[in-house]
Amino acid sequence: MKGLRWILLVAALVVLAAVPWFGSDVLVQFGINALLLAVLAQGWNIIGGYTGYASFGNSVFYGLGSYGVAIAMVQWELPFAIGMVFGVVLAVAFAFLLGLPVLRLRGHYFAIATLALAQVMIAIVSNLSIAGQNIGLVLPPLNDDRLFYELSLILLIAATATVFWLTRSRFGFGLIAIRENEEGAAVMGVNTTLYKVLAFALSGVFSALAGGIHAYWITFLDPASAFDISLNVKMIIMAVFGGPGTVLGPVLGAFVLSTVSELLSSEITSVAGLFFGLVVVVAVIFMPRGVADLMRRFRATGWRYFVKNLKAHRI
Amino acid sequence: MSAVLGITNVTRRFAGLIAVNDVSFTLNQGEILGVIGPNGAGKTTLVSLISGTLAPTAGDIAFEGRPITKLPAYQRARLGIGRTFQIMRPFPGLSVLDNVAVGALFGHGGGESDLDKARELARAQLDFVGLAKFADQRADELGGPSRKRLELAKALAMQPKVLLCDEVMAGLNLVEIDEVIEVLKRVRERGISILVIEHVIKAIKSLSDRLLVLHHGEKIADGDPDTVLSDARVVEAYLGRRRA
Repeated sequence: MKGLRWILLVAALVVLAAVPWFGSDVLVQFGINALLLAVLAQGWNIIGGYTGYASFGNSVFYGLGSYGVAIAMVQWELPFAIGMVFGVVLAVAFAFLLGLPVLRLRGHYFAIATLALAQVMIAIVSNLSIAGQNIGLVLPPLNDDRLFYELSLILLIAATATVFWLTRSRFGFGLIAIRENEEGAAVMGVNTTLYKVLAFALSGVFSALAGGIHAYWITFLDPASAFDISLNVKMIIMAVFGGPGTVLGPVLGAFVLSTVSELLSSEITSVAGLFFGLVVVVAVIFMPRGVADLMRRFRATGWRYFVKNLKAHRI
Repeated sequence: MSAVLGITNVTRRFAGLIAVNDVSFTLNQGEILGVIGPNGAGKTTLVSLISGTLAPTAGDIAFEGRPITKLPAYQRARLGIGRTFQIMRPFPGLSVLDNVAVGALFGHGGGESDLDKARELARAQLDFVGLAKFADQRADELGGPSRKRLELAKALAMQPKVLLCDEVMAGLNLVEIDEVIEVLKRVRERGISILVIEHVIKAIKSLSDRLLVLHHGEKIADGDPDTVLSDARVVEAYLGRRRA
């Protein structure tokens, strides 16, 4: 059984990796977007799903990664790889500087505080001449979707492997203990402040790398799109839809919802947003623990799974 | 007997309320010290001050002769102070086994870094408190009495030198109380010093080497259980003046 699962996983990876060689340009471009969204959802999973801190600040990491690459390549004429490193450094620095005060807040207060961060960043970056102020930066174009696709896939594999490691490591157990009961974790010896900041930074590293790849791919960025809060909402929806605090849930959620959203917007453009919202609302009501939990339990409980969740909401 | 814990003139204020007022006492190596007192006497606050989830307004706390007043809770845990919560705080989404494994992964001395070994240690603690058969259940599926034992197992998995028990017997029936008393006595045999907060006077009397009584945040008696329980001030605190 376990062997079969590994074979399936490897097979899925081979198919995914081969897409640019048999798929159309449109499919590859859709793939890059879906993969990067999956990386973002998986990154959010570390701080939101495992540590229990619903961060609305991950789009800041994404923006910092984008600008790291853009500034390094445009202003300093450095290679892309160094730009990625620069973006990661910015994200980690941000996680430590702002994570320390902000992670003292819990629940809704944390969410609101991080929500404000993205707005503040837009204002700051719009006034930095090195970042092209509110006009933005144009990167040297590289017309190689195959490369961007494979880079995104490798990043997603790295993010997922990291989350898998969390489920089997002391660090990951510390994060879960914080999520389940922070005071209880502290008296058992978990350095909660350090662990939370590390989780925030780790989550930020993947978001920043995704932002860096996206910036180089799109070749243009401005403050409003780099620090777009709706991107953060998207990653949360995808992670929660798939199953927060699970290894494959957020990836699954990102793939499924990217596909649904793409199909809807190409078939019935005007009301696509409405349908997308409907899908999310229905999902939250009937499977609040995500697709991952549904797949695990559906065989045992059958359709009663949905009824049970419906009752739990007291609707 | 050497002192493991030294509490010196500790006070904790919450705005206008003085929850713990100038309390001093020691917990000796290998001792079971019972702390009793009416509701609101400051017992749980005292445990929180020692475990580090609350900071004292004034006074000093020492562990094995070394001041720990300024240390955060997790560092105190690593030195060897384990506690249970009166309002049970399991990690609800984790299995019973993994709840306890967290204690083994962190806890005294920084804990065991290997997850499989930590689970092995956790299993031994579940055996010890009699929860082995629930190991794979989710913690929030446990009933009240089992949760009390889970609290104990979690704290014990930390391999503490001092165990602070905040009402581990509240809500248990007489048979269950006797079982917990047996467990605590065996914990002491491992060389762990224990501070027990309890409401059930009969239980704590048979368990404790020494009793300390708190009333309105102040220490009103400290000594041999029989002597303390016949002290006029203690009787008054519990039963009121006229009947005393």
